[in-house]
Amino acid sequence: MKKNVLSIRQKINIALGIEAALLGIISICAFFSFKIVLSKLHFIEIFDELNISFLEMRKTEKNYFLYHDTNALQEAYQKGENAYYMLQRAQTSLVSTLGRQNYHALTSSLKQYLNTIQNLQKSQRPSILEELRLRKLGHRLTQFSSSLIKQEHKKINRIIHQNTMMFFASLVAVLLSQLFLWQYFFRFLAKKLLKMEALTKAVAKGHFHEVAIKHSEPNDEIGSVVNAISRMAQELEKREEQLLQAKKLASLGVLVSGVAHELGNPLNNISMLAEGYLSYYDSLSDEEKKNFMKEVQVQAERIRKIVRNLLDFSRQKQPEFKECSPIEVVEKSISLVENQLRISHIKLHKNYAPDLPAIYVDVDQIQQVLVNLFVNAIHAMPKGGRLFVDIQTNDKRDKVIIKVKDTGTGIKPEILPHIFDPFFTTKGTKGTGLGLSVSYGIIKQHHGKISVDTEVGKGTTFTIELPAYSSKQAKEGKHG
Amino acid sequence: MAKNIIVIDDEEVVCRMTKMVLTKEGYEVETFTDSKKALERIKEKKFDLVITDLKMEDVDGMDILKTVNKLYPDAKVIMITAYATLDTAIEALRGHVFDFFPKPIKIEELKKSVKEALGK
Repeated sequence: MKKNVLSIRQKINIALGIEAALLGIISICAFFSFKIVLSKLHFIEIFDELNISFLEMRKTEKNYFLYHDTNALQEAYQKGENAYYMLQRAQTSLVSTLGRQNYHALTSSLKQYLNTIQNLQKSQRPSILEELRLRKLGHRLTQFSSSLIKQEHKKINRIIHQNTMMFFASLVAVLLSQLFLWQYFFRFLAKKLLKMEALTKAVAKGHFHEVAIKHSEPNDEIGSVVNAISRMAQELEKREEQLLQAKKLASLGVLVSGVAHELGNPLNNISMLAEGYLSYYDSLSDEEKKNFMKEVQVQAERIRKIVRNLLDFSRQKQPEFKECSPIEVVEKSISLVENQLRISHIKLHKNYAPDLPAIYVDVDQIQQVLVNLFVNAIHAMPKGGRLFVDIQTNDKRDKVIIKVKDTGTGIKPEILPHIFDPFFTTKGTKGTGLGLSVSYGIIKQHHGKISVDTEVGKGTTFTIELPAYSSKQAKEGKHG
Repeated sequence: MAKNIIVIDDEEVVCRMTKMVLTKEGYEVETFTDSKKALERIKEKKFDLVITDLKMEDVDGMDILKTVNKLYPDAKVIMITAYATLDTAIEALRGHVFDFFPKPIKIEELKKSVKEALGK
């Protein structure tokens, strides 16, 4: 089932959305808390004014009590009235801060105070009780207002303290979320880019097939890139096959002239032998006649060999793959040339890595390739030498690497580019020039690689890389 | 004195058969399957006729032809080749080749050509 993965753009948008929401919440909180602080300050401003009015009211009240000045009583009344108007004007903001109950308590206290002043003004001889009541009310008013101011100051301090804490916490939250998000994106992108790097490296190395079969979730931008690379690899693989085909066609030209030359020589020999045999039949001894016919046989065998190799080269035989041990294939191939190695005074050195993975090959074809390499090595060491046969695997255990190294003459740099060309030979009439080109085709068909490393006078190493047999191939039931 | 001929071909059968035929015709024949050695021999001894294969390793027929033309302008050269193309034929004839034989070589025709070349 295809996983519904969010695209990178969607992920970034979500991350930015979260960040924006976080900042929005913080801003709204800050806005409201500032608004509260401002309203509190406004309230304190009003109350400061009220408080001043109350204090002045009480100061004039004191003058009345000290000097029995009736004017002072009048002044106190006016100040009280002013304070009352002030209370009326700021009713809404005061009610919201003090609450309706407190507001009414305050206004009724002030009203009572003003009434008491009026009563005192009206009476010729003010009673002590009435005066005491005025003092008590005045005291209550100043007490009330100053305690309210203190209370509000405390509230403001608390709000400011809370806000400072909240801002600090928000800052930490924003930083942490940034850190977390970027860390996440960095890791996420790095992981994807590493995957892409591995793929592009594989493409660069020419391993198109393994890249071509890789697919990713298309919902993701990197996934699309991976798919694009995989499609590119598919195309490259196809092109490589086409190129190979084109090369094959191009080599057909070489092949035709090669065939003409290769077959031309033994045919000419047979023709000359036959003509000579007929012309000089009477003068030839029995032994000579036998030698003529033997030579015809040799030349016919030469033709047969060329034709067989040519068939191997051109045959589009579907290889029969099966799982087998690389050591088994190599050992079988060695057994075919063991005698030749002994005659040629060549010492064989085998080095097989322990616990090698199995390979999935057409045993006959790989054997053909190996025998061909061994025979080439033998021909490169006419005075004897040493032949090294190594089998290794790579770290990933997905490849089996077979190396065939000789201590022979080496290959000249100018002919090195042609060794895999059909009908290219350095062996004159002894070789057909098809061995390595056939080997190349076989290894290619096995999704493997054959490469050469040589130094004139020191020797040559042929390296064959074959894919290891995997459970995946077993499931597919076919190769590649 | 018998005319002397050098035969150069990396095919041993060609050398052997040509030698057999031409010796019976009364010529002195030397054969080489190694063209390098043949070239050295040509440099030290003059042959009246050189029969050489065109395509050989190291030293090819054209190299032999150039050396013979340079050292012995009156010596004749017969070129044989396993696969004749127009280009090689033209190139060979430009280099004053007496005759040009594509393989398979007809012994009788070769005998005739040798006779003509050596003015018998």
